[in-house]
Amino acid sequence: MYRYDEFDERFVRERVAQFRGQVERRLDGSLSEDEFKPLRLKNGLYLQLHAYMLRIAVPYGTMNSRQLRQLAHIAETYDKGYGHFTTRQNLQFNWPKLKDVPEILDLLADVEMHCIQTSGNCIRNVTSDQFAGVAKDEVEDPRPTAELLRQWSSLHPEFVWLPRKFKIAVTGAEHDRAAIKVHDIGLKLKRDDAGEIGYEVSVGGGLGRTPMIGKIIKDFLPKSELLAYLEAVMRVYNSEGRRDNKYKARVKILVHETGEDEFRAMVEEEYAKLDGPTINAPQEEVERIAAYFASPAYETLPETSATLAKAQANDPALARFVEQNGFAHKQPGYIALTIALKEIGAVPGDMSAAQMRAFADIAERYSFDEFRVTHSQNLVLPHVKQDDVPAVFAALKEAGLASANAGLITDIIACPGLDYCALATAKSIPIAQAIAKTFADEERQKKIGLLPIKISGCINACGHHHVGAIGILGLEKGGRENYQITVGGDASEHAALGERLGPGIDAADVPAAIEAIVETYLGEKQGGESFMETVRRTGPEPFKAGFTAFIESRTLETEAVG
Amino acid sequence: MAKDHRAGSKVRGDKLPAILMASHLLEGDTVFLSESGWTLDPSAARIAHDAETSAAMEAEGKAAASANIVIDPYLVPVDLTESGLPLARHFRDAMRQRGPSIHPDMGKQAEFAPLD
Repeated sequence: MYRYDEFDERFVRERVAQFRGQVERRLDGSLSEDEFKPLRLKNGLYLQLHAYMLRIAVPYGTMNSRQLRQLAHIAETYDKGYGHFTTRQNLQFNWPKLKDVPEILDLLADVEMHCIQTSGNCIRNVTSDQFAGVAKDEVEDPRPTAELLRQWSSLHPEFVWLPRKFKIAVTGAEHDRAAIKVHDIGLKLKRDDAGEIGYEVSVGGGLGRTPMIGKIIKDFLPKSELLAYLEAVMRVYNSEGRRDNKYKARVKILVHETGEDEFRAMVEEEYAKLDGPTINAPQEEVERIAAYFASPAYETLPETSATLAKAQANDPALARFVEQNGFAHKQPGYIALTIALKEIGAVPGDMSAAQMRAFADIAERYSFDEFRVTHSQNLVLPHVKQDDVPAVFAALKEAGLASANAGLITDIIACPGLDYCALATAKSIPIAQAIAKTFADEERQKKIGLLPIKISGCINACGHHHVGAIGILGLEKGGRENYQITVGGDASEHAALGERLGPGIDAADVPAAIEAIVETYLGEKQGGESFMETVRRTGPEPFKAGFTAFIESRTLETEAVG
Repeated sequence: MAKDHRAGSKVRGDKLPAILMASHLLEGDTVFLSESGWTLDPSAARIAHDAETSAAMEAEGKAAASANIVIDPYLVPVDLTESGLPLARHFRDAMRQRGPSIHPDMGKQAEFAPLD
């Protein structure tokens, strides 16, 4: 893992001191709310429906046990004993007091964490593949790139007041687990024909009220030219992006309105003017950062573990957990495990302080003191020795963290929605809970297979509903909460936006509507097709027909009752 | 997110009776204008039955915001329960009166007597 050097340390401490002063000035009245709001947002502090909310950056979703224990301490001391992992691989506390926030920031700085640029119109926390450095299909670990971008973008003087927020995701693998095509900039590490490593650069992806898939503006950018090229992209956006209308201010709108080719030409023109060597990171700095992400000291082991095979044969629950939540590791004898924060009926992404402590112990003991946060609001133990899996499973079970549903229909992404969020138009979490309860039966989940459901409580799409295989969007209609349902969204390398099935429905009807959609899938499915493979083959039409039939039967039922 | 806050009630039509709701600057809690100052208790909210009172309450809210006591004060149209307690008409405002629906152990619902 990356460790702060003296500059990082000083930078973060200075920001805490600055914010402490800003809070003092707010409290003594020398700053008005209008003056203070942009300052608190730049430090991750929002005001939500019931309380302030503090968003803590987890750079590219990588953390260690010491950090998680500190988060547990903060949760218990300054919040209500839990935290919430988000779709941006960050962690949010839902109940901090303004007066306590400077102290919380100091505690975070003690463990090399902060809230800088988790909000506001700046380059946000860089996200990445949760299996970075572990996946077999990886060209190169994306985390050194993400860390380089973190350092470059932190308080970059030119890019702290962009037209709107800006999100960058990096993957080093063939299979995109970082949703790079729905980010403002998506970077994919690849090799060219000569075997050199570089980046494919996509710009202008995003969700929200105007969802767009990113356009590839550079097929292959040599690795050493990354910062200068991104600087050119940011300069074009900073000067040409709209500032007159916040709903049209994201770079996706600029790329869309300008046209992909014209935008590319503008970037190239800007890039030609830049003095690359003064912007690009020196090779020794790139190497210094990369060294922090060297593989841990793996043991030399056989490909598979006889101990684990035997334990699986004796314990069907363990076998199911490994089958569903295990991820093939590049190192023989090791496995990565997804910890789904998705117990049936739980709040997606929530973790209690007690669970944080238990999990910190597990990560420290069994995963080289490292774990990851996924954009699906789950956690990952990246380096578990297969021999240790039975012990890990037992410890996870003890902590209520052994839910064997990673990627299944009950592993649902849900934004905080109207239960917490000041922007939400409808509840999101209770919908996830109701769907999970409907499909709680493990055999049924297994039969349905991989089916990512994603729920947002407003059009801003923090719950990524546009790219859910089934997407659910909560809106307000006629003074009631109303839910629109889409199918066919995909956040992977096959990035696609879901298509609406029909009119919006009431909250109470959502679980049955999902059952109707699943029935359509099981009826249409050929061979071993996953839900998404079926939708890709059939298109949305059979699903629309099934949904319409569901609505009609619902209407008849209501009329019969009425 | 498109905006960092969405103040103001979304109720259409008749805006009375009404209460005045805001966030407490220091604590962040939802607070209500009472007969004397601000209260955390949704049952203790002052109720405006006429436009004159609601205008006066709104002015009081703005003054409190200027004095850095509260943030984003706004009038919330309510229905009255049988015992005369104010129940927000819009589900978003009602969520603020109660606390998160997924956590009955948190927020107003955990700290004060229920409104209905």
